Amino acid sequence: MRHNALLLTKKLIIFLAGLLALSMAVFCVSRMAPGDALISYYGERAEKMSPDERSAAEARLGLDRPLHVQYVRWLSGAARGDFGISFMYKTDVLSLIRSRLGNTLILGGSGFALIFFLAPLLGILCTRLEGRWPDRLICRLGAVSGCIPEFWLSLLLIALFSVTLRLLPGSGAYCVGKSGELADRLEHLVLPLTVVVLSHLWYYTYLVRSRLLGEVRQDYVLLAKSKGLTPRRILFRHCLRNIMPSYLSLMAISIPHILGGTYIVESVFSYPGLGTLSYESARYKDYNLLMLLCVLSGASVMLCSSLAQAVSRRIDPRMRDGTPVSGEARNDG
Amino acid sequence: MTADKFVPAAPRPICDAPPPVPPRRHGLFLPAALLGIIVLGCLCCELFIPRDPTYMDLRFCNVPPCRDFPFGTDSMGRDIFSMIWYGGRVSLLIGFAAAAVSTLAAVVLGSLAGLAPPQPETLLLRANEIVMSVPNLLLVVLIQSVLGKPRAMGIALVLGLTGWMSMARVVRTEVRQLRQSEFVLASQCMGGGFFHVLRRHLAPNFLPSITYMAVMNVRAAIAAESTLSFMGLGLPPEVISWGSMLSLAESALTGHQWWIILIPGFFLLVTLLCLTALGNAAHGGVSRRHSNL
Repeated sequence: MRHNALLLTKKLIIFLAGLLALSMAVFCVSRMAPGDALISYYGERAEKMSPDERSAAEARLGLDRPLHVQYVRWLSGAARGDFGISFMYKTDVLSLIRSRLGNTLILGGSGFALIFFLAPLLGILCTRLEGRWPDRLICRLGAVSGCIPEFWLSLLLIALFSVTLRLLPGSGAYCVGKSGELADRLEHLVLPLTVVVLSHLWYYTYLVRSRLLGEVRQDYVLLAKSKGLTPRRILFRHCLRNIMPSYLSLMAISIPHILGGTYIVESVFSYPGLGTLSYESARYKDYNLLMLLCVLSGASVMLCSSLAQAVSRRIDPRMRDGTPVSGEARNDG
Repeated sequence: MTADKFVPAAPRPICDAPPPVPPRRHGLFLPAALLGIIVLGCLCCELFIPRDPTYMDLRFCNVPPCRDFPFGTDSMGRDIFSMIWYGGRVSLLIGFAAAAVSTLAAVVLGSLAGLAPPQPETLLLRANEIVMSVPNLLLVVLIQSVLGKPRAMGIALVLGLTGWMSMARVVRTEVRQLRQSEFVLASQCMGGGFFHVLRRHLAPNFLPSITYMAVMNVRAAIAAESTLSFMGLGLPPEVISWGSMLSLAESALTGHQWWIILIPGFFLLVTLLCLTALGNAAHGGVSRRHSNL
């Protein structure tokens, strides 16, 4: 028990230190970058300000202090749960993020769930029919859909379904005044969700497929077959079980990637979520918003990678001797 | 597999069987040829493009594909056929330069992490984890605003600097397996420095396993450049590349000018597909042993 508590404390300390380093790095880089933060607060007016007005405005926003003072100020505020105001939206950053978080969770969460269930199904199908036409078709289609840049796929879908056929709405998360209606929301969700699923599904399907193909070449499968088990039973009861630890831990690692990796989709569909928000905040130097978004995403990545380790340690006895999971996180935008 | 499961199968060696299906190489011809045509066409585009790709002829805005303009013109009156080949140069250049930068970074840092004693190694890993935890898009925007005005090489550098992490992990794993081997120890004992060991002993051993990732990095960089330019964070529309051509796509959507969206995207997609096929070939397929199922 003591050992566990010690381990937990150690993890917590590493986690906090990581967050601290991350926030420091983002803080420095974003403030050192050229560009005018006042524009995000005052808009066009900032360019016409006299030098006096400028310095007064900077003093009001606390931007005139030296860098380390600003950082300490931000940190002490953050420790009390006060992350400052967004320059662009002029509201509390936390409440702004809270209002957008739901939308992103709906899109990313449903995308994640779909991918999570579809990938093993397609992978199993491919393994069952290895080398036959459905397998080859899925692999071909997957290779194509995994290659299409997300934004282009979104453009194509919008062009086809909302501009030409006028079947589905091409932007936003709901029509004005209908934010509570489920049908309206679902209608708006179809196209972005399709893009999210299509662009990620292939990777995970392919992973399951190649692991399973390796697995069915093992000798125990031959043994099971000679005992008279049906292929389906071998596949589901034995092979699938063996690849589950790596699949589950990979999925745990990829939670933030799928959940937060919807930036491009969100901004093409002008979907009011965190993705659009972070894109805007980086573009227009909305410092407080940018900081909180980065820290949040960093925290979720670190949490999920610990989750992945915990999951695989829990279900796979081989992992208990302390070798960490090596996550091959995706790295494309 | 129903009734015949108790029928003894023909004797088949369990392992070390000669590959029952010869590795399919002919599938590689098409992607290699297509990619060759695209690369050659982009490199020698001066020889055959009919118009100056940067010339904005305002008399011919948004002309659909016709005999004069095989791919039509964009909303600034530029000839898309000429732009495709001319802009492909920039896109391909960014892709290959970015992959070179990220491969170099990944090899050096990954081997450093692999050879380092445990403490600095954990530090490097943690740093890697932190960098990876920032969304890539933000990282690109941040670095780019530091570098200043968007230029092709700047974007290549940015994409290279944000793309090395997962490859560095692979290199590290390989190096950790190699570092105990006698030839590395011997070389170090004889006074071989880090870069000597890396070049002569480590790199030849892990190169096959990162070739695939290097090709995939080219692919990712080309896709990332087009995405960035499309979102207005990469190259401006005056600098022609496949991505900046697509940045005009959103206005083309409402005007039903399908060729502005479809044609550059199609070239982009074909290039990405060819690169994937080549990368997979470098990777080597699944083992050709028979399934036991």
